[in-house]
Order: sequence, then structure tokens, then C-alpha cells
Amino acid sequence: MNILASYNWIKEYLKTDLSAEEFAKLTTSAGNSVETISDLSKKFNRMVVGLITKVESHPDADKLRIVKTDIGKKKVDIVCGGENLEEGMLVVVGLPGAKVLWHGEGDLVELEKTKIRGVESHGMICAASEIGFDKLEQSEKDIWDITKITESKPGTPISEALGLDDFIFDIEVTTNRPDCKSIIGQAREGGAVTSGKFNFSKQVSKSENTNVHTKKGIKEFVVDVKEKELCPKYSAVLIGGIKVGPSPWWLQKKLLLAGFKPINNLVDITNYVLHEYGQPMHTFDADKLNGDKVVVRKAKKSEKFVALDGSEHKLDSSVLVIADSKRPIAIAGVMGGESTGTTDITTSVLIECATFDPVSVRRTSRALNLYSDSQLLFEKGLSTEATEPALMRAISLILEIAGGKIISDIITHKTSDYKSLVFDFDEDSVNSLMGIDMSKKAMVTSLEKLGFMVSKSNKVTVPYWRDNDIESSVDFVEEIARIYGYDNFPAKLPSSGLNFLKEDPGLVWERKIKDLLAGSGLTEVYSFAFVSKDQLDNYGISEQNVVKIKNPLTIDQEYMRPSLVPSMLTAISKNNKRFPVGGLFEVAPVYKNRKNDRPKEPLQLVLGVYGGDGKGSFLKAKGILERLFGQVGIHNYEYKRDTDPQIWHAGRSVSIHVDGRFVGEMGQVSRFVERAFGLDVSAVIIRLEIAEMLDLFTNIKFYKAIAQFPSVKRDIAFVIDERIEYGAVIEKIMSDARLLESVDVFDIYRGKGVDEDKKSLALHLSFSSSERTLNAKEVDDELELLRTMLQKEFNAIMRS
Amino acid sequence: MKKELEKLKNEFEGVIKKVSDKDSLEKLKNEFLGRKGKVKSLMKNVASLADEERKVIGKIANEIKDAIEVSYGLKEKELEVQEYATIVDREWMDVTQPGTFAEQGHLHPVTKTIYEIEDIFSKIGFTRIPVPEVDWDHYAFETLNMPKDHPARDDWETFFIDAPEGKKGKLVVIPHVSNVQVRAMEDYELPFRALYIGRSYRRQSDTSHSPMFHQFEILMIDEGVNFTHLRGVIEHFVHSYFGPDRSIRLRPHHFRFTEPSFEVDISCGLCSGTGELDNIQCKMCKEGWLELAGAGMTHPNVLKAGGVDTKKYTALAFAFGIERTMMMRAGMNVDDIRTLYKNDLRFVRQF
Repeated sequence: MNILASYNWIKEYLKTDLSAEEFAKLTTSAGNSVETISDLSKKFNRMVVGLITKVESHPDADKLRIVKTDIGKKKVDIVCGGENLEEGMLVVVGLPGAKVLWHGEGDLVELEKTKIRGVESHGMICAASEIGFDKLEQSEKDIWDITKITESKPGTPISEALGLDDFIFDIEVTTNRPDCKSIIGQAREGGAVTSGKFNFSKQVSKSENTNVHTKKGIKEFVVDVKEKELCPKYSAVLIGGIKVGPSPWWLQKKLLLAGFKPINNLVDITNYVLHEYGQPMHTFDADKLNGDKVVVRKAKKSEKFVALDGSEHKLDSSVLVIADSKRPIAIAGVMGGESTGTTDITTSVLIECATFDPVSVRRTSRALNLYSDSQLLFEKGLSTEATEPALMRAISLILEIAGGKIISDIITHKTSDYKSLVFDFDEDSVNSLMGIDMSKKAMVTSLEKLGFMVSKSNKVTVPYWRDNDIESSVDFVEEIARIYGYDNFPAKLPSSGLNFLKEDPGLVWERKIKDLLAGSGLTEVYSFAFVSKDQLDNYGISEQNVVKIKNPLTIDQEYMRPSLVPSMLTAISKNNKRFPVGGLFEVAPVYKNRKNDRPKEPLQLVLGVYGGDGKGSFLKAKGILERLFGQVGIHNYEYKRDTDPQIWHAGRSVSIHVDGRFVGEMGQVSRFVERAFGLDVSAVIIRLEIAEMLDLFTNIKFYKAIAQFPSVKRDIAFVIDERIEYGAVIEKIMSDARLLESVDVFDIYRGKGVDEDKKSLALHLSFSSSERTLNAKEVDDELELLRTMLQKEFNAIMRS
Repeated sequence: MKKELEKLKNEFEGVIKKVSDKDSLEKLKNEFLGRKGKVKSLMKNVASLADEERKVIGKIANEIKDAIEVSYGLKEKELEVQEYATIVDREWMDVTQPGTFAEQGHLHPVTKTIYEIEDIFSKIGFTRIPVPEVDWDHYAFETLNMPKDHPARDDWETFFIDAPEGKKGKLVVIPHVSNVQVRAMEDYELPFRALYIGRSYRRQSDTSHSPMFHQFEILMIDEGVNFTHLRGVIEHFVHSYFGPDRSIRLRPHHFRFTEPSFEVDISCGLCSGTGELDNIQCKMCKEGWLELAGAGMTHPNVLKAGGVDTKKYTALAFAFGIERTMMMRAGMNVDDIRTLYKNDLRFVRQF
């Protein structure tokens, strides 16, 4: 979360002469990250107070006026379309060179002297939104009338006239430091990292610790906290005789610069204190409450509530509410109700200043989808000690600005008495964890600047605004180190003895395989680990035993994929129009349910070659697979035609086995699958269970001595039935031959000259012996033996 | 005989002068120096002369033969030089036409980034270990000092598996790879330097959040590990991955499993850390700095949860999102981070 903090406002509590940039740098290094610094004097540069001396009509435009404006040294003509222009009015004049937002929108535009419909205009009379105050309530066609908010003379720079000579920091506040989402918090932190003095002392009421308190002449009012755990502290007070109206400019201005929309003095004051103290508050219109009692309780089932923002909610017992004697009037810590909200005619209010359980606020806010500045702070955890100074501040501001007087006691309910957190402190552990040598005195100084108190016996008392943050002694290290400045520490590479962990074979081979496949021309894809029920169905997987997500983001991300194939087919169908031919792969874990254990996550490889005819893709995919096998040291593999014909094309698919072990499948997907995934092309998929193969992979290459004696080459060609598998022929040749070194196919021919249902195989045969040079006769005899075998075993018709 | 030889020489010299192309030269070579050429047949005649004469004439004949060969050689060279001078016209090609490629594969940019980071850390002794993606909340939260009420453990932040609770709590689809921290303490002997990168999942899907993303983290546990080492490790990474000219800023931050914790910023590469480009605020960074990572000294509660003796050992951790880091360096302006996982080949094939 971020806070927009005015440097002037911070300086109300911090004495410092640092420039805004210097302050930002120091406070950032201590953890209050200043993300941007906005220099208002630059923002309002070339803008001055103008006094309208005469308003004349424009000769060529009905809706425009020529406004004679006194800008100090001279009077100029400005063409303006504002509907509320009046003589004697003070306005903001943007002179040429000023940067404004046209109609409060878009990027900043630099003004130039210009002619509007033939009349020279020497600047612009601005609406509030045109100079960045879009949150200031104003009629759309009006310019900003500043007559009532400044007494400056014409020509005075706007930043001076309106008290805008300031810098605004946009500061990121970490979730453990809600206290820093306040001006006081930022001033306190600033005081710890600069030499400036932080001066804030909390106001305390005289009637502390009174749960129910009545006195004559004072209205009796009861606070009944039923849920003491969820509401450890609740304070309330009635103020009557209030006059609701717009806030004075100084207050509006501070709210505008802090990012709030000024509404009326009551709302503005609670927002002001929220921003200054970091403690949310709520004001109820006291005349709209039923009875003289508020109850902090859980909502009843089906109780209805309309929030201030108009949203309607049906509550249940998980919601903590503030109720009057009849109905809920606020969701505790989140938002007040519409029916008891303050309006322009409110005259008496009940002010609530409380502490609520952070978890309850968070869960309620999420469940009701209801968010507010209060909820944002409450859910980070606020101290029960923070309510009182804030309430005192609010009361005094209300009395000062809205008038009225206190008509009840300040009623406070506390679940328990406050006790500060205390932890031991050990300077040695700070030095050894941080790798420096710092004196205890310097450490204590840092802690004390941050509001901690360190006793002589090394006990550290935690200030109340850090109640939900500091959990143990180790937390003091950070406090000391961040004030010291992380950039003041040296950087060293750890040099102690290395104890290397064993490499994980899955990770090692995953990397090699990815490199090899990309080297084979395939493109790697990354799909989500989630799949839909449809994707599973389409690939014939029942969702029954699939790892299911309880709270998926969308219905198509309901399951953790048990196979990479459905995602691959989806990826192909997404691309096959634009890229009609392609090869993709993915290596990732799949998820398999196990009994009494977390799911198993074996690594899988899926490869998809698509486009062209299925046969061609099959051979291409197979080529890539066999090359991969060769490179990872797998040689003893075989294929079996035993795949599921619903999933796989019955004639063009196999299961893959290595050393007799099933490791995956390869084939064209069946037409059912093609249709289900909406493929425009045929797709050949290879799925390998990498996790099952890790023991098969090896980098070791076997070396066979280079033959000493020349080999003798012969070619052979023959025609056999189409259905006789090449693999079977080669296997038989290799097993029968005695002097054969290698067989390479150089042509498989079908077509003219070869009968239908037949194919012609042409092979290079290479014969050799490790003992001697073979003579021609030996080779011819061997060849003859193979020919005879081919004729006999495969009915081959020899062509050569 | 001698005259005949002289005549032959003169004849050759006369003809060769006029030769201007390789073919004619070749013809001339055959005519004079070939197996049935004029020189050869004259030499034969020389062989048939009487001894005395043969000695004299033979010498002359050889001289003439050499001379012919020399002038042939010169001519051959001259023609080659002439020919080479015209090669630019005869064998001209359009060198700007597209080259022919072997089919090119593409690794996903996330893969490339992961491997690059892995290599940077392996140089300083960190070994990559695997990350279970579906894990017990004992490892994902509980032991990381994130109590039951922690917002990250709410249903709207983290994915949970629809399965009964086990001894170690609910099954979580990991929202960060930090579940490996306590697992590593249980699985490996101390001291160690571990690196883990894996898919992580959060219930958030918009242009800057993908429900699946990748996280990197290192964990080093040893005696005497302190903050200056963490700074050293971070510097090693930033200078290796982004370049030695980048500066580093550490800002105190808050994470449950480290204490102290901070965010690591690096100076912006676009505006060189000035925060301004041509007098306009740099759109890439915040006041000259880019948020890179989270880091800190491992919280003693986490070490204790992993059975580590916190009197003896301390530890450091450093983590960031792969996607963001990758895009920060490459100047890869992907408007929607989810593009990385849409498998649009128009995207992946650019890498």
C-alpha cells in the first residue's frame, strides 16, 4: 500500500532543513520507499491569481466570453467558456508556459498565447480539475472561484496564494507497518534517519478507562461489546449542535494532496485524522440511531445491510457488525451503513474510534467484496493504544471547525489492559548476523529514535504502534541495520568450503533434452499446468482420479494436468491455421494422485509434429525421437502396435519400449481426437515418460575400434509385400549375416514398375572382418546366403 | 636438327603470343608438349642420333623444351590472372537475397533465462534442486513463519487441492518456491548452497499477473553466513546478468520468512538511473530504480522448523520472478505477461 505524504505536513511534526530529495533518499534507505516526488511549485509554475475586471461577449462564439483579467502587472484578455464568470472574482490564470490538463483529462499540455475564434487569448482561466484537483466538487462548466480561499493580490503565484508550495511523496508502505501509512508515522521514521527532531505527543483525555459513565446533564449512552476478541477496544462519543458544511481550504487542500475527495467538514475531519494518525474512525448521525445503545456483535443469519457506497449485503454470523437496538449500522472496520450516514443536515454525531481483529476484517471485506481505507488499515493490525490520541484529535477538530459540543462521556470498552511487548536484546547477535562491528551505544540510539525503550538490563520495550509487527528479538536487527543504512555494508562473496549438492538427474536431463529437441528444429511451448474437464474428455481421460483444484480461477483451469498431450493438442489447434506445418515440444511435470501422500509429479516429454500427411509427420517425429535416443545413449528400443484405437490412429501408432520397458507412445492421433480438439491438420504426438527413463540416459559413448581392414560394399534391391515391415527384414538380415558390418536403406520405392501392395527396398550392405581383408568370393557367398533367405522368408523378388 | 629445334621454338613463341584463352592454350599444349606433340617427336629424333651429336643436340633440345615449358607456364599464369579479374562479373550473385536455413528450433525465453541464471549461480557453488509444485501447507506456509491467519493462506490468494487434509495440513499449489526451504533442510546435509527455480501459482490473472509463473530462489546455510555475503551474492548476480555498470540498492522490506528482509533494486538501464529521459519522467522505472527481487537473512523460526541449529548456523535467501527479471533485461515489452504462456508461435518463434 502507498501513502501520498505532503512534506509540509510531515514537517509539522519533524524539524528538518533537508531538501525533499535528500529527505526522500534517506527515508527510502530506511524502508519508506519514495516512489515519486512531485514538486508542486513546478506543477503550478506560470499560474497566478487573476482578478476578473470585466466580462464581455465574444463576437463570434455564443458560449465564449472575453474576460479582462488583472494579473498583477497588467490586464490581459482571456477567452474563456466558464459559466460562472463574474466581475470581481479571483481565479487561477494559467499563463503561456503553464502545464494544464485539458478538461481535466489526458496528458499535461503546455499553454501558448493563442487566438480563439479570432480573438487573442493571453492564457487560460482554469477549472480545478485542469490543474490537478479533479477531486474537488465543481460544476462541469464552471471555472474555479478562489475568491473565498485567498486574499492574495492579482499576480501572486498560485502556489503561494493557495499554500501549495510543497512536495508530495508517493511512498510505499510495507504490510507490517500500517503505522507508516500516516503523516505522524512518516515524520517519526524521518526523525530516526535524519538529524531532525520529531515532536509529537499524544493528547490524552481526562476520562480514560471508563466503560460506562454517566453524569448529570450529559446524555446517557451505552456501548455493549459482545465480541471481545474481535473488538478489543471500542470508544465512542456523542457531539451535538454541529453545523455540517464545506471544510476550510487549508483542510480541503491537505486532503486533496493526500488523495482524498473533500466532502463535508465531518467526513473530511475523519479522513484528515485517518491520514495524519493512521487510525480509522466513523461518524454516525446520532439522530438516526434506534435507542441509546450500540452493540458490537456478530450479524444474524440473513440480516440485511446497505453500505454507504449503496451496495446491498446479506450477512451471516461470520460478519462482525456495529448495531443499534434494531439493525446493523456498520460492518465493523469496513464500512458504515447508508441509513445512519451523516448528511448536510446532520446536527449530532456518534464518533466511533475502535480496534478490530485484522483477520476478521480481512475475511469479511473479501467475502462481501467491500473495500475502504479503514479496512485496508485494520486488516494490517492496529494497536489498541492508537485510538485515543486520534479520537482526541478528531474531537478538537470537529469542535473547532463544525462547532457543537460534547454531549456524552467518552465511552471506552477494553477487553484487557494494555501491556507493552518486551523482548531481550543482544548486540552480539546483531553484529554477527549483519557482519559488522557496531557499538551497543549506536544500536540503542537507533532503537530509541524509533520509539523503543532499552533498559540497562537489555530489555527492549516495543512502542504501541509496532504491536503487530515486532515479534521477537531478531526483529531488532532490521531496525538497527536499516537506520545504519544497507548501502553502508560491504559486499563479500561467501568463501567457506564448498559442499556441493548432488545434481538432480531429472533437471540435468531435462535441460539436455530441451537443447537437443530445439536443435532438431522443434519449438518449445509452455502451457499452464491447469486443464479443463473438456480437454481431459477430448483426450479420453476421465477426470475421476485427476488432481483437482478446490478453488480454480476459472472453470477451464480446474484440473492439474495428468498428461501434457491435451495441452499440446490445444496448442497445435491454436496455431495450425497460421502455421499449417510445425513441430512443438514441452517438457514438464504431470500430476498423479497418490493415496495418503501429496501427488506425484513425474516429468513428461510431449512432442507434436503436425501438418502435411500423417505418414510424413510420423516419420519426421520418429526421426527426431531416434536421434534423441542416440544422443542420450539409448540404443535398445523397440516399437509395438498395441495402442488404444480410440486415441491413436490404428495403423500409425506404437508404444515405445526400451530394454523391454514401456516408456511412452508415438503416433498420429485418431480422428476422434483430431475432431475433439478442432485440429485442421493431422498431428503426430510422441509422449515419453522421462521420469521413468532417468536410469537409461547416459553420456557415456562406446567406442568401437575403427576397422583395420577395408570393408566391401554391395547393394541389394528387392520387392516385398507392403505389409512386411522394414524393421523385421533388417532384423533378420542382421541376425543371419556373419560378416555384415552395417545396413543402410537408400530407397524405399512404391509406384511405377512395382505392383500395388508391394514396395521395393534398396540397401547398402557393408561387409568386413576385424581379422583380415575379405575376398570377393567370401562376400559374394554371404550375399547369396542373404538373397536366399530373403526369398524364402519374405517372398522377396530380387531386383539386383 | 639444331635448326629444326630453333624453328620449333620460334614457332611456339610465335603462336603462344596470340593465344588469349584457356582452350587455345590447352590446344597448343597438346600440339607441342603432348604425348604425340611436336616436341616429343623431335626428342625421339634426337634419341636416334649418334652419340657425339646426341650429346650436343640433346642439350640444346632440352633447353628448348624447357624454354617452351616456361613460356607455356607464363602464359598459363597470365591467362589465369586475366580470367580472375573478370570473376566478379561472370560469377556475380545477389548477396542480399535471403539465406537458406536448416530448420530452426526455438527454446522458450523462460527456459533460456532459467538456464542462464542457473549457470550464473553454479559458478559460485549453488546447485539446482527440484521443486514440488503441489505441497503441504506445512512446507508452503506453516514452517515459513506464515501462521494460519496469514492472508496468503486465504482461498482467494492461493490454489488449494480438493483433497482431504493430511498430517502436514492442506495440499497447496505452491504460491512461491519457498516450500523448498524447509524441505532442503530436511533432505540435505549442512552446510549447503541450493538454487531452485520452478512454476508457482497464484489466484491472480491480469496483464501483469499470470496464474502460473516462475520463481527463482537461493538458500545458503552455513556457519558465519551474514548480510555482507548476501550483498555479495546479489552483486554477483546483478553484475553477471545485467552488466557490471548497474548499481544496487537495498530497501528494507517485510517478508515473513526472512529477518531482516529487503527488496533489491537495480539502477534503470533505460535512463541510466537518472529517472529522466529527455526531461520527461522515465516510464520504465521509479526515480531511476527498478524493483528486482526480495532477499533477507532466513528467519530463525524457519531454520528451527527445518531442524537447523540456529546457534551454529545462519542462512541467506534471495528470490525473484523469472518473467519480470527476463523482461527487465531484454527490454522485452510484453504488454500482457500471460502472452508467455499462450503458446502463440508468433511469440515463441522470435526467440
